[in-house]
Amino acid sequence: MTPAALLQSVLASLPEIVVITGACVLLIVGLFVPKGRSHVLVWASIAIVAAAAAATLALAGVVRPAYSGMFVVDGFASFFKVLFYLATALTLLLSPKYAEIEKIERSEYYVLLLFALSGMMIMASGTDLLSIYVGLELMALSTYVLTGFLRDDRRSNEAALKYVILGAVSSGIFLYGVSLVYGLTGTTQLDAIAATLTADAPLDPGLLLAIVFIVTGLVFKVGAVPFHMWVPDIYEGAPTTITAFLSVGPKAAGFAVILRVFLNPLFAASDVWIVVAVIAVVTMALGSFVALVQDNIKRLLAYSSIAHAGFALLGVVAGGVNGVASVMLYLLIYVFMNLGIFGIVIMMRNSDFSGEAIEDYAGFAKSHRVLALLMLLFLFSLAGIPPTAGFFAKFYVLVALIEQGFIALAVIAVLLSAVAAYFYIRIVMVMYMREPAGAFNPALTLPVRIALAITAAGTIGIGLFPAWFLSLAQQSVFGS
Amino acid sequence: MDFPLLSVIVFLPAAGALVILFLRDDNAVRWTALTVTVVDFVLCIGLLLGFDTTTYEMQFTETREWIPALGVSFALGVDGISALFVFLTALLGGVSVLASWVAIDHKVKEFMISLLAMQSLMLGVFCALDLFLFYVFWEAMLIPMYMIIGVWGGDGRVYAAFKFFLFTLAGSVLFLIGVIVLYFQGGETFDILSLMGQDYPFAVQSWLFFAFLIAFAVKVPMVPMHTWLPDAHVQAPTAGSIILAGVLLKMGAYGFLRFSLPMLPDASQYYSTLVLVLSAIAIVYGGLLALAQDDLKKLVAYSSISHMGFVTLGIFTLSIRGMEGGILQMFNHGITTGALFLLVGLIYERTHTRSISDYGGLMKAAPVYTVFLAIFILSSMALPGTNSFVGELLILADAFGANLAVGAAAIVGALLAAAYLLGMFRRVALGPASVGQRYEIWDINRRELAAILPLAVFVFWVGLYPKPFLNIIHVSAEHLLQQVHGHHSRAERP
Repeated sequence: MTPAALLQSVLASLPEIVVITGACVLLIVGLFVPKGRSHVLVWASIAIVAAAAAATLALAGVVRPAYSGMFVVDGFASFFKVLFYLATALTLLLSPKYAEIEKIERSEYYVLLLFALSGMMIMASGTDLLSIYVGLELMALSTYVLTGFLRDDRRSNEAALKYVILGAVSSGIFLYGVSLVYGLTGTTQLDAIAATLTADAPLDPGLLLAIVFIVTGLVFKVGAVPFHMWVPDIYEGAPTTITAFLSVGPKAAGFAVILRVFLNPLFAASDVWIVVAVIAVVTMALGSFVALVQDNIKRLLAYSSIAHAGFALLGVVAGGVNGVASVMLYLLIYVFMNLGIFGIVIMMRNSDFSGEAIEDYAGFAKSHRVLALLMLLFLFSLAGIPPTAGFFAKFYVLVALIEQGFIALAVIAVLLSAVAAYFYIRIVMVMYMREPAGAFNPALTLPVRIALAITAAGTIGIGLFPAWFLSLAQQSVFGS
Repeated sequence: MDFPLLSVIVFLPAAGALVILFLRDDNAVRWTALTVTVVDFVLCIGLLLGFDTTTYEMQFTETREWIPALGVSFALGVDGISALFVFLTALLGGVSVLASWVAIDHKVKEFMISLLAMQSLMLGVFCALDLFLFYVFWEAMLIPMYMIIGVWGGDGRVYAAFKFFLFTLAGSVLFLIGVIVLYFQGGETFDILSLMGQDYPFAVQSWLFFAFLIAFAVKVPMVPMHTWLPDAHVQAPTAGSIILAGVLLKMGAYGFLRFSLPMLPDASQYYSTLVLVLSAIAIVYGGLLALAQDDLKKLVAYSSISHMGFVTLGIFTLSIRGMEGGILQMFNHGITTGALFLLVGLIYERTHTRSISDYGGLMKAAPVYTVFLAIFILSSMALPGTNSFVGELLILADAFGANLAVGAAAIVGALLAAAYLLGMFRRVALGPASVGQRYEIWDINRRELAAILPLAVFVFWVGLYPKPFLNIIHVSAEHLLQQVHGHHSRAERP
């Protein structure tokens, strides 16, 4: 690698470098920040994310291959990075008060979030199965620790242990797939793999097996059936802020890799989509039906996120520009609406009140009109009712599906989302149509307010004026 | 048209809802809501006065870009069919506010916001000329309506609200699939008018017809998709019932008129007998169910099913009188049934019972009220001189031509209507003055009069001189029939 190429590579990976360096500095600085002043760390972390975002925006517009084809900065990667910044920044805003209440105000919390962010960024930019794997592990290891951050809580410990074991298995499966690919094609670079394969037309069964392994590893990350078992337990056990983060960040990163692999003409040509279609439908069905009987809102949202992952996978099935763009837009919108609802759940946690049971929300609308209205907005958005963004997300996936002629899949998808609507509006019912059992004391601080304002603005704004976001997603697919 | 009249009409209530968000006093909230709905109604009068009855073209059209990448635009416009319902919706909006004046005594602010949001969305449904926009309005209505039934309804409100929500949602998601299929079949546009001017293969039309049929049949409601209606009506507050019966049910029929018939003409003709039979079943079955009710609201609710059967019957005769009758009857049903629900609501405020057997001799206790009740009951059973007579006569005139058995069933339904309505009137209003002794009953006050009087005016206006209304409908209905019957020769027409 020539010095000039290296310089170009460093420039292309500037956002990652900013985040990782920032996290390392924060790790040291954190030791000297006195207890009770941890909000300094929050704002410092947000500043790091903002700096990385500025770098990403400055780099956008040109395709920059880097590190000898291991890494690329293109519209697709930039779109996902912005999504990750958003998810991380919102999680950071939601964190300080919650961390104070749960007594987990430690600088490592913020540092690990930043490391997870950098892992996701590498996943989005990776064009080599190995660099993708490095990003995946960096993200995964950070989130394992974050899941177990409530050290005195048995559920949190259990969740972390489960997550580590299952995550390690899935990483192993992914890596095994990668090794098979390497053995059969002699390379781990996505483009090179595609080139080898198009040379001799019929797909090697060994390679198909390898693809199945890789898909399995990735499907685990997005929490799709049959690799979804970890989701409810881990969502319930993890600190709620981390649950919120897990539901949008790593999930989107998993989708980014799936799309990157599927953007590849090879996979588009193969019949892997049938597998993905089956996974998508079963995932949606399981998520929607099991969520119907949940009493714990974190578990309910876990199953809801499974159902949403299934819906987004349908966009992968559709493929093409609209299919890929629909998944990207879906994930972006999901960041807003899901972090919005988690923001409310996080805020409900206060001194002696957990706010985890759905019953805890009985009569919430009576005393907190605005907060209840926001929650109503997020819930209807998750249910996919216009004019919220959630509707447009689903609508666009359906357009992509029907464009490719998958009408039966589209019908199944909408019927299942009608089922899913039931458990969302059930929460609305509890909030608005029941009498409160006691007084509410939500931990509503300024950062939480900001986070809720951003998520609400996104949820309603993209719903009413989706045109700009739509063309942004469409343009990002072409990789400019 | 420079002044965006339709946009103003559609979004004025929503703007009012925003204003109400910042008001603190309940009375200020009520007056604001009333002012907004009355101003909106006045604008709608202006709309009808400026309406050109000689053309079927869309009028007062507005088009703005919305989502160009998907061919979605913000397009509004009215023709003779929709103009009438815009007017009806605006009229019932004011009535609903007046009906909720004292009946809603908690969370007044939220209620009026829901009501006004509902009003905007309903007006939007009738004005939308873009299928995507239409769907957004159509589906978004679920939110405020769910809240109106679920928060301010009766004891079984939660169940009723769920049932309403899920039935309608399940119906309309299939409609959504149909919409997207139509989008790709019709050249990637959501523009309603250009989607009309195309020949779709019959197989596509058939599938779409059934997807649409399910969505619209739930809304109308047609048997067997009607079971949400009695629950929703009984549990909803008075204003909710007025909106449901007056406007929401019309949307199903409007969907047939705006989408099924002009876009899927071959399938509409082919399956018209099916819809006619379903309509006949609804007329008789709804009537029989109404006959068996002791609950006033349930009785009116089931009578709605029966009367909406007349509407779909008229539309699917696919001939001019039936069509005009069907459309006029939609308007009439909105007025009459809206008024009946209002009257039931008023008396419920006094007695807190809806059971017919608790009443009797109301005539002596509340004579003015009883006169109005009589007017609307007679209107509902289509007595000559009232609005429904004109509508039903037109429908029946063509019903026999379309299908003899269906026409006969409609006659039976009309007789049943007389039976249950007069029976109800006898048991509630006539007889010894028992109800006045058991309950504290007072006659209609000025606010209530202001709500009911405009509706009574339309009963007689349409009943005695329906020409202005039929004029509005006529050209558009004729054009619609041309679209259904003569769509192959469309290219030759200017």
